[in-house]
Amino acid sequence: MAAILDMKGIEKQFGVVKALDNADFSLEAGEIHALLGINGAGKSTLIKILSGVYTKDAGEIAIAGESVEIGTPAAAIACGIASVQQHPELVDDFTGIENIFLGQEAPQPGLGRRVDRRALKLQAEQLLKRFPIEIDLEVRVGEMPAVDREIVAILHALSREHIRILILDEPTSTLTEREKTSLFHLMRQLKAAGIAIIYITHRLEEVFEISDRFTVFRAGRRVATLTCHEARTSNISIPELMLDEKPGDIFPPKAKSAAGEALLDVRGLSRHGLFSDVSFTLRRGEILGIFGLVGSGADELSKALFGVIRPDAGTLTVKGKQVTLKDPHDALRRGIFLVPGDRRTEGLTLSRDVIFNMTLAHLGKASILGGLLRFGSNRKASAGLAKRVALHPMTLDRPVSAFSGGNQQKIVIAKGLYRDADIYIFVEPTVGVDIGARATLYALMRELSAHAGVLVISSDCDEVHGVADRMIALYRGRPVFVPDQRPSRDQLLTAGIMGARA
Amino acid sequence: MTALKSSPLALRLTAFLVLLGLIATVFQSFAPAYLSENNLHALLRHMSVNGLTAIGLTFVIVVRHFDLSFPGVASLGAMTLGWMLANDFTLMQSVAGGIAIGLVAGLINGNVISYLRLPDIVTTIATGGVAVGLSYFYSNGTSISENFFMSGILDLNDSRFLSLDMPVVILLAAAIVAFIVLHCTRFGRAFYATGENRRSAAFSGIRVRAYVLTAFGLCGALACLAITLLVASSGAANVTAGNQLMMPAFAAVYLGAALFGAPSIPATLGGTLLMSAMLNGFTLLAIPYYYSDAIVSTVLIAAIGIFDPKLTTLLGGLFSRQPAR
Repeated sequence: MAAILDMKGIEKQFGVVKALDNADFSLEAGEIHALLGINGAGKSTLIKILSGVYTKDAGEIAIAGESVEIGTPAAAIACGIASVQQHPELVDDFTGIENIFLGQEAPQPGLGRRVDRRALKLQAEQLLKRFPIEIDLEVRVGEMPAVDREIVAILHALSREHIRILILDEPTSTLTEREKTSLFHLMRQLKAAGIAIIYITHRLEEVFEISDRFTVFRAGRRVATLTCHEARTSNISIPELMLDEKPGDIFPPKAKSAAGEALLDVRGLSRHGLFSDVSFTLRRGEILGIFGLVGSGADELSKALFGVIRPDAGTLTVKGKQVTLKDPHDALRRGIFLVPGDRRTEGLTLSRDVIFNMTLAHLGKASILGGLLRFGSNRKASAGLAKRVALHPMTLDRPVSAFSGGNQQKIVIAKGLYRDADIYIFVEPTVGVDIGARATLYALMRELSAHAGVLVISSDCDEVHGVADRMIALYRGRPVFVPDQRPSRDQLLTAGIMGARA
Repeated sequence: MTALKSSPLALRLTAFLVLLGLIATVFQSFAPAYLSENNLHALLRHMSVNGLTAIGLTFVIVVRHFDLSFPGVASLGAMTLGWMLANDFTLMQSVAGGIAIGLVAGLINGNVISYLRLPDIVTTIATGGVAVGLSYFYSNGTSISENFFMSGILDLNDSRFLSLDMPVVILLAAAIVAFIVLHCTRFGRAFYATGENRRSAAFSGIRVRAYVLTAFGLCGALACLAITLLVASSGAANVTAGNQLMMPAFAAVYLGAALFGAPSIPATLGGTLLMSAMLNGFTLLAIPYYYSDAIVSTVLIAAIGIFDPKLTTLLGGLFSRQPAR
């Protein structure tokens, strides 16, 4: 088969980060090609370059043997490339048909032109004839199930007839098992019609189910392109291919002494559709790690432990007392502090200075009885905390937004230190943090664990494995490991990605 | 302009004083009575009414909400005050009654917006409308001035304290209390944290909904305190009393925030002073209110535009790009 798309030596740099480093990718006509890689491996950047959202710094793109320049989304569509975002943007109040032909209702633009609904319906019928699939397109999109929305988005992308390459970015992440089947059915229809599909997914078991070939990205480069048949026969492990090789010495040593009393005891915690039957015990003096990919329910679990999300079932025992956390205020009062995954929207007041942020989680301590702030001692306390977390630059009066990601994270941690919590929950603690600051953050976690219990929830397997004393994987909302086992890094990765108990 | 944006307080203060001086010079040249002692007293009295409303509104703006109900609520407060005075309640009771009406209306707004999560603009327009309707109940819409002379309410306008007019004293007292609350206490921190990033505030254990509720309550109560002064100066309670509160209050908060970089009590006072200086000048020149309102609104939009960081960077970008072409 001939290659319909050939990308060679693609480079893309964001600030100091090299997102794509001499990356290659090729796609054959009429194949379903899975694109795999951990977060930050470069697959999203590659896709965005291909769909004209980003422009490449260097490299060549050829479509059907002809070299092309894709600078804008419109140019990508002109080249026959269409993409469907992870959460497709549709107009909820319009019907499926109206959404499919959004922006091309009439042959010529013009305010006075009437939208010919009959012609649109006819066109939609033709489209369905090309790609036979069962769907009622007269329904408002807002009332459609997730899979029908996905199908509408795909049909919208394919409504221009010359499209030959379709990019699907994690289309199954919000679908149920049955809905997934009907999406895969449509994908096979498209394939039969000669359309090549690039398919991004985090669920490895789907790769063998639907795709012909797959490409694995790691650290901005392509590390392998294989057919599923080759992968099966040669017994290659995809997780191993995806794994990032990172220097191991950024992690502090594991806990030396045995853990102390139980601080947080979670039994059978469930929330419908997010996570189910999660049980573990966090003790003073240890770091417990939970590895879970995006969409595994790990983030939601952290919010349930902080009173943001109410669980449907299960019990939560904090320091020996069974509790129902009403809100974050309640959680903080009981000694739980969350370092949230999205520090910019959940952890910090960006426009305010360091002192404002560091003291915000415990304003009672920051003020005297009537509520008047202790300006002097707050500054002193903040300076002490800034030194303790090695804030850089060591200035207390600049807005938090002016600090780098790693230092912003340090400020959030200092907030928790000011609160003097017993239980620290870290979610994605090092996203957007460079390697040097990472080591500091890991050392801080270890230091915290000397007097408190630390829970680290992350989609970075190396991080969880490197920093935690004990660990669990979360796969589609279910814990995979018994927390008292000490799995190897690969075992943990396989558990979190495939749901398998290695 | 870029210097101003990144500047410390001194530069912003200079800009404010220059603007104030400019307004004073212009009006002084057209109306020589502008800087006379009598007119400055009138100006400050006028400022007291607008300042009190604007201070209340500042709390709502700090938590990033809108209150469009306070003119109507203030009218209802004025009529309540007038009716109570006419029915032989004491001055203290009547004033407290008027302010209580404002507080209750504000708390209703706050509850509906923060706990039921209805959109603030529509909600406050509706409660404002209800308040205006209710204000007609007392007297079928005629103004009330019975018993005013005896009750002593006029003293709220006329008497002096430490050689300052009473309205000015009340404004200063309210401003000092509001300043301490908003800028020197944990509660002020919580108001700002709620407004600037509600999610992170909630994650920091701040009861954001209680603070939104409080902000609306304060706004309603202060609008009714302001209208009390207006009733005292005009000697009658009127169903349209609150109508003139809306524009100056919003203008003061936004003008102040634009000048000083963020909404705060000093910024609001500064904004109120600028607004009152202009409105008073127009009155002195006998320019009808519909024209003066139009001019002041133009000034407001221009000021916000000039000081808005988005526009500043856009203009800066335009100027720096042009030579390259």
